Amino acid sequence: MLRIDPRDAVPIWKQIEEGLRRLVGSGSLRPGRPVPSVRDLARELRVNPMTVSKAYQRLADGGVLVVRRGEGTFVAEGPPQLTRAERAKTMREGASRYVSLAATLGVSKDEAAREVAAAWDGPRRGRGEES
Amino acid sequence: MSGEAVLSVEDLAVRYGPQTVLEGVSFQVPRGSVFALLGRNGSGKSSLVRCALGLQKPARGGVRLFGEDAWASRRRAMGRVGVVPEHPDAPPELTAGELLAFCAPFYPAWNDTSARDRLERYSVPPRVPFGRLSKGQKGAVMLALALAASPELLVLDDPTLGLDAVARRALYDELIGELADRGTTALVTTHDLDGIEPIADRVAVLRGAHLVANETLDALKARFRRIRCGPAAAPFSWEPFEPITAAEKDWGREAIVGNFTEERLGAFRARTVSDNVEVVALSLEEIFLSLAGTAGGLS
Repeated sequence: MLRIDPRDAVPIWKQIEEGLRRLVGSGSLRPGRPVPSVRDLARELRVNPMTVSKAYQRLADGGVLVVRRGEGTFVAEGPPQLTRAERAKTMREGASRYVSLAATLGVSKDEAAREVAAAWDGPRRGRGEES
Repeated sequence: MSGEAVLSVEDLAVRYGPQTVLEGVSFQVPRGSVFALLGRNGSGKSSLVRCALGLQKPARGGVRLFGEDAWASRRRAMGRVGVVPEHPDAPPELTAGELLAFCAPFYPAWNDTSARDRLERYSVPPRVPFGRLSKGQKGAVMLALALAASPELLVLDDPTLGLDAVARRALYDELIGELADRGTTALVTTHDLDGIEPIADRVAVLRGAHLVANETLDALKARFRRIRCGPAAAPFSWEPFEPITAAEKDWGREAIVGNFTEERLGAFRARTVSDNVEVVALSLEEIFLSLAGTAGGLS
């Protein structure tokens, strides 16, 4: 499920973009399957439709979604494949952002590593954030 | 896409006798945006909305609505604006259906079918006079009237005031649907900051007759942080941050800053003796409180 937190410092369009990327990446949203219309997702998440639209546009530009005129928006059949070097670079950048976040919050290296392991097993599980 | 402003407020001043309610207020509502106009009670929001709708003549400056002076051309412009006023007002003896029939001739782009569908969806009883409807039902009638005009600009003046949670949710659903279907520009004044935060894309804050913020919500949220810092040896300074509020606590210091960037955080950490620095993002409500609520207390 796609979850967003309007209070987060990360803009909502980015939360939606990253959330859908994760759902596609994990196989929860399979290639060729439709995604909700902008209107439906906006109402479900209770956000501005332009925000959803911006996330969809970026995902379409990135080859994750395809828009078929008159039919809707779908997960791309062949999700974009990164080269080994691109993948390593993306991982390094993500890790560096995460480490600076952890340092900002005064979190230890071990604790940060445990969070990664927990997130890997299932995002947000057992953190009392259900609403 | 930007560029064209549906509403442009230019150096606006409003006075009631010796009292200045608005002074030097300027901002633009770009087409397609959802603009949240925030301020405490008495901060001049309602006067500003009245000027924007051409219902009040400002002491200085003016408002351009669709490129024309709002005061001079109010009759022409009103056909393109849908308004849900702070206090729903309509002839009390007319039913919702009669109100629709009464308003329709004034609006060139009136959509009667969608208006009647809406009244049904909002469960407004068709044969009860307006004066005997509940607060939520009156608001629903006003919203149905406003949207029936297929407005280019929707003005919602404190639309959730007095609504229960269910009615509030229905109102946001309706607003989101309208934005998705028609890309309507919206100007919203509200005290329901949690409700409007995920919908607004621009925010302006009025305080003491002046505008103290006017930018995109993303920009506003990016530059505000609460920073907590453990005990540090004197002399202490928040530089390069500029605190809007700062306090000393038992455990250290806390400030809300309005000029946060990662670079400034790096510089602050490099200079600060304490290795215990915590940075927390703020909700729109918390940002509003720091901008508008630091003085005054109850009023």
